Amino acid sequence: MRRLALPVAVAAVLALGGLVALELLRPAAPVTQAEEARGIAGELRCPDCQALSVAESQTASAAAIRREIVGQLAAGRTIDQVRAYFVARYGDWILLAPSTPLVWWLPALALVAGVGLLAWWLRRGRGESGPSVQAPARDIRAQIGEEVEQLDA
Amino acid sequence: MAPGVPRMRLLRWLALPVVLVPLAWLLFTGLGTDPRVLPSPLVGKPMPAIAGMTLDGGTFSSAALLGKPAIVNFWASYCIPSCVDEHPFLLDLAARHGSELGMVGVLVNDTLDGARGFLDRYGQVSWPTVLNADSGISIDYGVTGPPETFFVDARGFVVARHVGPLTQAVLDDELAAIGIAP
Repeated sequence: MRRLALPVAVAAVLALGGLVALELLRPAAPVTQAEEARGIAGELRCPDCQALSVAESQTASAAAIRREIVGQLAAGRTIDQVRAYFVARYGDWILLAPSTPLVWWLPALALVAGVGLLAWWLRRGRGESGPSVQAPARDIRAQIGEEVEQLDA
Repeated sequence: MAPGVPRMRLLRWLALPVVLVPLAWLLFTGLGTDPRVLPSPLVGKPMPAIAGMTLDGGTFSSAALLGKPAIVNFWASYCIPSCVDEHPFLLDLAARHGSELGMVGVLVNDTLDGARGFLDRYGQVSWPTVLNADSGISIDYGVTGPPETFFVDARGFVVARHVGPLTQAVLDDELAAIGIAP
């Protein structure tokens, strides 16, 4: 059973890697300009409302930004260029999601670090507080042996 | 006890402040941050151009502001009480520094009737107000809502942005930054 553990683990990792690669390499479905515009509007914060994206809001400011997005895409700008256009004016505040993906990994990293720290702490605590049984020294064993022989005699 | 054990214990106790002190500092400084303060990426950069029809039927171009410090004030008639509160400060500013300071207002999602009614009620102004009908100027300045004011130096560079109603304290600080003695 134990001999099978490593091949099974390797096979599982390879299978998972294959699935991830397939997902990443799968050609994306063609996206229309209107869908691109909706996508960008969904990523931008409505400037004069709370907790709404530009796509969701009905304010005049949000409508103006939606028009600007459509106009820029029609002019041939890429999604990244349009996003950068608004960041250059409003700052990162305008983005509903953080621009660096590292932020998404921080909670997972903190969890792993916390579990690791806890495991280390528990192992150390058990090592220190557990009963320490030392083998008797050789001379003590010899002495005990002599005393037992004397008692038997 | 092995000689490495005291060192490990010392490291363990050192690890706590190393982790906790920066975390506490981060949280503590966050508590003191004003969530209404939004840093503008325009600060330190040339002011975006402003051009268009004005409330009195004329036209305006920000080229007219070059050569002297200026303020760009985004306002609206529905912005109550903030725009009402700051209006006397703007009138006083124009009266005291009108010759050495360029001033321009920009309407934010407002109607002509609404804006004219506001000025009739709270005081006519001597500086132009650009209509900004398509909100293009609001987007160029990254405006989140009226009132907002941008302070521009004589070279045409944005020096500061203030979100919310102007007060005398704000004006004293920001005018000095663009070379106007309060």
